[in-house]
Amino acid sequence: MVRVSGANLKSLSSAITGQELIPRIATYTPFLDESGETLDQGIALYFAAPNSFTGEEVVEFQGHGGPAVLQSVLHRCISLGARLAQPGEFSQRAFLNGKLDLAQAESIADLIAATTQQAAKSAVRSLSGEFSRAITRVLEKIIHLRAFVEATLDFPEEEGVVVVDSDRLLVDLSTLKGELEHIESLATQGNILREGAQVVLIGAPNAGKSSLLNQLSGEDVAMVSDIPGTTRDTIRQALQIDGIPIHLVDTAGIRETNDILEQMGIVRARQSIEKADLLILLIDESDATKAKYFIKAEINVGITPTIFVHNKIDLTGLQPTIEKNDGTTQVFLSAKTGAGVSLLKSEILNAVGWHKEEGVFMARSRHLDAISQALAALQGAEALSSRLELFAESLRLAQNELNQITGEFVADDLLGEIFGKFCIGK
Amino acid sequence: MNTMDYPDKFDVIVVGGGHAGTEAALVSARAGCKTLLLSHNIETLGQMSCNPSIGGIGKGHLVKEVDALDGAMAAAADEGGIQFRILNASKGPAVRATRAQADRLLYKQAIRSRLENQPNLWLFQQAVDALIVNTDRIEGVKTQAGVCFSAKSVVLTAGTFLSGLIHVGQSNYSAGRAGDPPSITLSEQLRALGMPVGRLKTGTPPRIDGRSIDFSVMHEQWGDDPAPVFSFMGKAEQHPRQLPCWITETNEKTHEIIRGGLDRSPMFTGVIEGVGPRYCPSVEDKITRFAGKSSHQIFLEPEGLETHEIYPNGISTSLPFDVQIALVRSIRGLENAHILRPGYAIEYDYFDPRGLKRSLETKVIEGLFFAGQINGTTGYEEAAAQGLLAGINAARHACEKEAWSPKRNEAYLGVMVDDLTARGVTEPYRMFTSRAEYRLQLREDNADLRLTEIGWNLGVVSETRWRAFDEKREAIAREEQRLKTTWVNPAVLSEEHAIRVLGKVVEREYSLYDLLRRPEVSYDSLMSLPNSGERVAQDVVAQQVEIGAKYQGYITKQNQEVQQQAAQEDLALPATLDYREVRALSIEAQQRLNLQKPETIGHASRISGITPADISLLLVHLKRGFRTNKAGNEDAK
Repeated sequence: MVRVSGANLKSLSSAITGQELIPRIATYTPFLDESGETLDQGIALYFAAPNSFTGEEVVEFQGHGGPAVLQSVLHRCISLGARLAQPGEFSQRAFLNGKLDLAQAESIADLIAATTQQAAKSAVRSLSGEFSRAITRVLEKIIHLRAFVEATLDFPEEEGVVVVDSDRLLVDLSTLKGELEHIESLATQGNILREGAQVVLIGAPNAGKSSLLNQLSGEDVAMVSDIPGTTRDTIRQALQIDGIPIHLVDTAGIRETNDILEQMGIVRARQSIEKADLLILLIDESDATKAKYFIKAEINVGITPTIFVHNKIDLTGLQPTIEKNDGTTQVFLSAKTGAGVSLLKSEILNAVGWHKEEGVFMARSRHLDAISQALAALQGAEALSSRLELFAESLRLAQNELNQITGEFVADDLLGEIFGKFCIGK
Repeated sequence: MNTMDYPDKFDVIVVGGGHAGTEAALVSARAGCKTLLLSHNIETLGQMSCNPSIGGIGKGHLVKEVDALDGAMAAAADEGGIQFRILNASKGPAVRATRAQADRLLYKQAIRSRLENQPNLWLFQQAVDALIVNTDRIEGVKTQAGVCFSAKSVVLTAGTFLSGLIHVGQSNYSAGRAGDPPSITLSEQLRALGMPVGRLKTGTPPRIDGRSIDFSVMHEQWGDDPAPVFSFMGKAEQHPRQLPCWITETNEKTHEIIRGGLDRSPMFTGVIEGVGPRYCPSVEDKITRFAGKSSHQIFLEPEGLETHEIYPNGISTSLPFDVQIALVRSIRGLENAHILRPGYAIEYDYFDPRGLKRSLETKVIEGLFFAGQINGTTGYEEAAAQGLLAGINAARHACEKEAWSPKRNEAYLGVMVDDLTARGVTEPYRMFTSRAEYRLQLREDNADLRLTEIGWNLGVVSETRWRAFDEKREAIAREEQRLKTTWVNPAVLSEEHAIRVLGKVVEREYSLYDLLRRPEVSYDSLMSLPNSGERVAQDVVAQQVEIGAKYQGYITKQNQEVQQQAAQEDLALPATLDYREVRALSIEAQQRLNLQKPETIGHASRISGITPADISLLLVHLKRGFRTNKAGNEDAK
């Protein structure tokens, strides 16, 4: 559900639902994008101030779920002027507007403490590694540039402390912008959660791929038999694991064959493998020779993340289990009985980069939002190199945005930077 | 020692007659309070103890704000200024700032005459030895000779006098500034009352006899023509005769001499414990920290019209006197210089300003206010602005009125007070425009528009100023309205005129105000368009309309930022709140908040180490506290 709170929400809600909502009446309606295309169908609810949870106007969009769709509704709201709430901000507003009683306030206090810890944890995780280093590098450059600009503004030319020429400013600015754009594209591309992950089942004929597909999707999508080569074309199935969209592709088992239809299926299978975010390599645990043959044959195993699934433990008598060593993951299960399939499900989420804490998802949206706001501010600065105080304002805004990702920075730190760089003072 | 009670009672007593004390005393009297100004020496009221100049970037902004509230500093600078300049003139209006070199005597006279002619204000010469405190409430002060004065509020502006210690080379002695005694008993009493104390350092250069200087080899620098004025009520005709400054610089030989004396410098041998300002370093500091720089500029500033004394700005030092002579004489034009007074460093006590409310009243003792250098700031302008605020609030306290303090988006004064009380200081605090996140709206040119009406409502602005201001404000509003409702379109604006003024033809209808927002269009060029109507008569009005239009987009955006935070910003936190009772708050946050007892949620959010989550928890707790109190009241009925 996407919930928006604030003033003057009527234009936002009518833009999304294409109609004027009546307070407190649940309306089944499409959620529309900018061009009037339907993003999702669901219930929209409008509450007039002060008769709402927060005491402000509130609109709720209850869609069909799934983070990808949710995300697109969220983005639609943001493009209409909303912004992402800070953790606990709804409660905060509710509280400020006198909407919470004592008991509620108490329980929300605990909740805030809990979610903050979780958010902090997930922030640490998503911020460890290259992404956080890259943001910090850009921030350092902004601060460096600001030190020059601010020193020029705060100390008279005659003292000869620092002279900024506008060409130099523009060069620095465009380097900055380029780096941030690069980060943005990486962060967006890497955001599998928004687009959903492409997971491809591969394996020798009759390894049990179609049975596994049926198990994972919870319905009989693929035809199953004991005859090798039953599946001749790729079968695509959209499914969700814990609400994360997964595009699962069942491929024809790859083997030498004279059957023309089966050959065409194998070509398509190879194409799917090329585009996969994750491969699930099925090994018939009851037939060890086939497994060896297959690992050699598959070109993309080792390049694309791969889970090795040892199927048919109902025949070998092994227990469902998961083994991780040397960077490979082996799951032992039975596609026929379903034993061990839940292990595989959680391992799929793991492998596509999804962490179970909810904070991660929102934190990432926030990060992308902050980056795009920062870019807009830098973009604005480009025309202002000869109006230094406005150039400085744009840099300040850009930095404010990125600070939301990494943490606090105060004016005095900037002064420290200035005093460290320039010999200042008569 | 015998003591006596002075027969008259006062509303407000101000201790100290520097820039903070004089503004505090004047404004308290203007507010209608019977005010006493106590100074150890009436002859030094309004003394400029350091460099003979007023204003500068960030500082000029404060002076204009003091002026907008009818304070004395800008007007005194207009009467005593011997060179006026607008710094950053080539940059945007937000960072332009006025600076004046001042004749020390004329400036002091201007302040003195205001003090002597101010109704409700009484002067008395005697050093103050002790505060009279009844548990946690101020009742008055006791002087060195045992005279006890009683008052409802006391403003303490002791400058560098609290346990002041002067260093020249390896010798040091106790003093308030060169030639004045320090206040030691007062400092001890304040420590005993539980005020958190720290130690800071500042310094001055040796003063030089102008007759021994060869000015002909130096670069001469005159003020702007026409000369700017400082006060909104000022006129250039008030200025006395104008003088130039001169610029020379240090060289490698100077630096060698300084390096040779470092082993006898109290800064480098560890004798000085106080922290000095990074932006006003001693010359020995500069050559050590920026060893790669082969030369540093020195500005020779005249101390006045009737004196030969020259203030060499840029060579503040506490090196031994023999090194001072050698280093001065190594500089071009100063080969034969005679030093009138040696340079020195002074260490002094300051009180951690986190112990103050935003009204500048101490949290420990009701009715006691601190202003100026004892709060860890530096500079005349910072002192004057604080003095003004403390004076206003001391007067309001005496009449049992609610305190007033400007917000960060209203005034540099608000930025300064918020910085001081939320974050404290680690070095002497000086104003910079980069401290103000709302810099684009906190300009020198609109200080009156921001503050004069507030001052009028506080009862500290004179009728004359109010009338003049009101007229100007009306004229600005009228002209803005006219421009917003005067339209041009392709039919009435010829291509020739459009290209001359706008650089291109207009493709649709615009109001004149819309056109003025374009960077390349000035008010005067706009008025040169046919049918643009009559230009306003006063330049200040035209200027204000133009600046307002140029910054409008940015200021609207900043105002949104302000509004977003407004609900929380002003939510009061009770001083009695024990943060250990706030559920789920981290121990560290509890300790910091208990130590500082912030006044509002906004204030709490700027304390270092306090996170947004802590603020949420506080909000929830407030709700709980509110309910408990209410229940308590109902029980009482």
